[in-house]
Amino acid sequence: MKKNRMRKLNKILEIPEEVYSDVPKISLIGFDEMIIENYKGILEYEEFFIRISTYKGLISINGYNLNLETMTNDDIRVTGKIESFDFERITD
Amino acid sequence: MIIKKIINYIYGYLRIVVEGYYIERFINICRNRNYMMWNIKKVNDINIALNIEIKHFREICKIAKKTQCKIRIKAKRGLPFLLNKYKKRKLFALFLILVLGIIFFSSHFVWNIEIIEENGLAIENIMEDIQEAGLRIGTLKNDIDTKEIINKVRLERDDIAWIGIELKGTNAIVRLVKADEKPEIVDENEYCNIVSNKNGVITKINAQDGTANVKVGDTVSVGDVLINGWMEGKYTGIRYVHAKGEVEARVWYTMNKTIPYKATEKQYTGNVETNYGIKINNFKINFSKGVSKFEFYDTIETENKIKLFSNFYLPISVVKTTHEEYGEVQKTYSMEEAKKIGIQEIEEELESQIENQENIVNKNINTYENENSIDIYVTYEVLETIGTNEKIVF
Repeated sequence: MKKNRMRKLNKILEIPEEVYSDVPKISLIGFDEMIIENYKGILEYEEFFIRISTYKGLISINGYNLNLETMTNDDIRVTGKIESFDFERITD
Repeated sequence: MIIKKIINYIYGYLRIVVEGYYIERFINICRNRNYMMWNIKKVNDINIALNIEIKHFREICKIAKKTQCKIRIKAKRGLPFLLNKYKKRKLFALFLILVLGIIFFSSHFVWNIEIIEENGLAIENIMEDIQEAGLRIGTLKNDIDTKEIINKVRLERDDIAWIGIELKGTNAIVRLVKADEKPEIVDENEYCNIVSNKNGVITKINAQDGTANVKVGDTVSVGDVLINGWMEGKYTGIRYVHAKGEVEARVWYTMNKTIPYKATEKQYTGNVETNYGIKINNFKINFSKGVSKFEFYDTIETENKIKLFSNFYLPISVVKTTHEEYGEVQKTYSMEEAKKIGIQEIEEELESQIENQENIVNKNINTYENENSIDIYVTYEVLETIGTNEKIVF
């Protein structure tokens, strides 16, 4: 109930959703750069495969020459030749 | 991002290689502790390379131990390592600071005086006057009072119409405008004579005011009175006036020259020797021997002040000395050739003296042959108006 009210207030104030909630925001720049905000951690890291866990589920990225360019507390930047990515939802 | 990189560079960072089977765990632990990591790259199956900040290195080592990883430092980058590298070179740093200090210190002085004359009219001895007024090489810029110097110089000299001093860097630029020379004007109301300013024979004299002192055909020399500034009346007696009138005279311009048949002429062989030296104030250091290997040579010395920027002169100058070798070539002229050369030289010189070429009445050339030379006399006869005003002093 309280959460819902906060959400309404934030929507009125037009605050981006990723700022006040745990929802991950994935931005793709070209096919070579991916920025994931609100991530939890890295599950697997290989040159051709990265799995990142978020609060809503898992993101797996396939490609080659994948680097973790910058890692800060709330966003991660993946660079390299990204070929595909898919999500695994966490079902409550 | 650039700012982040610069900050990282200032604080210093390490590129490490982590080896182990639980690398993801290692990364996640580091992330949870808010350690910054960037440029993470998988080298092979069990190795990753990443950049970390120096201050977290100890903690990261502990984490690596916990996750059974090995850490190897691949590179140390950043300012702290660079400074550490040059820590032993204390003397270098000292001299760097010293040189910077000297440059800073010397920038407070004037090291060059540049004189720019408007229209390119040279003004003699202006440098000495400016220096005497207080603008000397090596004085503190704060001590220079441009207004005072300008006043002093203007008091000293009357051939300057305008003077401006501009201090730019260590360069003092003095701009000058030369005043037109005023002819000495005798006031209309003052009594004056007309006196001759040239030697000649009078051909025409016409006194409007005053009394003519010479007749047509008289020979006059410089300083002779042509028209007296007084009039004599039968009843009024002597009355002084401002003499006016026109005097025309035949004036001779003569010049002679002796041209030897055998002449030695300089001829440059094209061999040039260049020496460099450094001059600090008046102390000169030559880089090579001062004695030239040539037998006959002209020495040309050019001095270039060293400047850092366009107007930042230093008290050091580079002196370039060039020796140009020449050989002496014997030349023999025939009598005709010598005559021709001599006449041409004299004519050029005389014609530059005569103001009005149209008034030349006559030209006279005399040559006298000697044993090994020829004397040439050239005379120009010119009709000119002569006479200048001269105040009568009682």
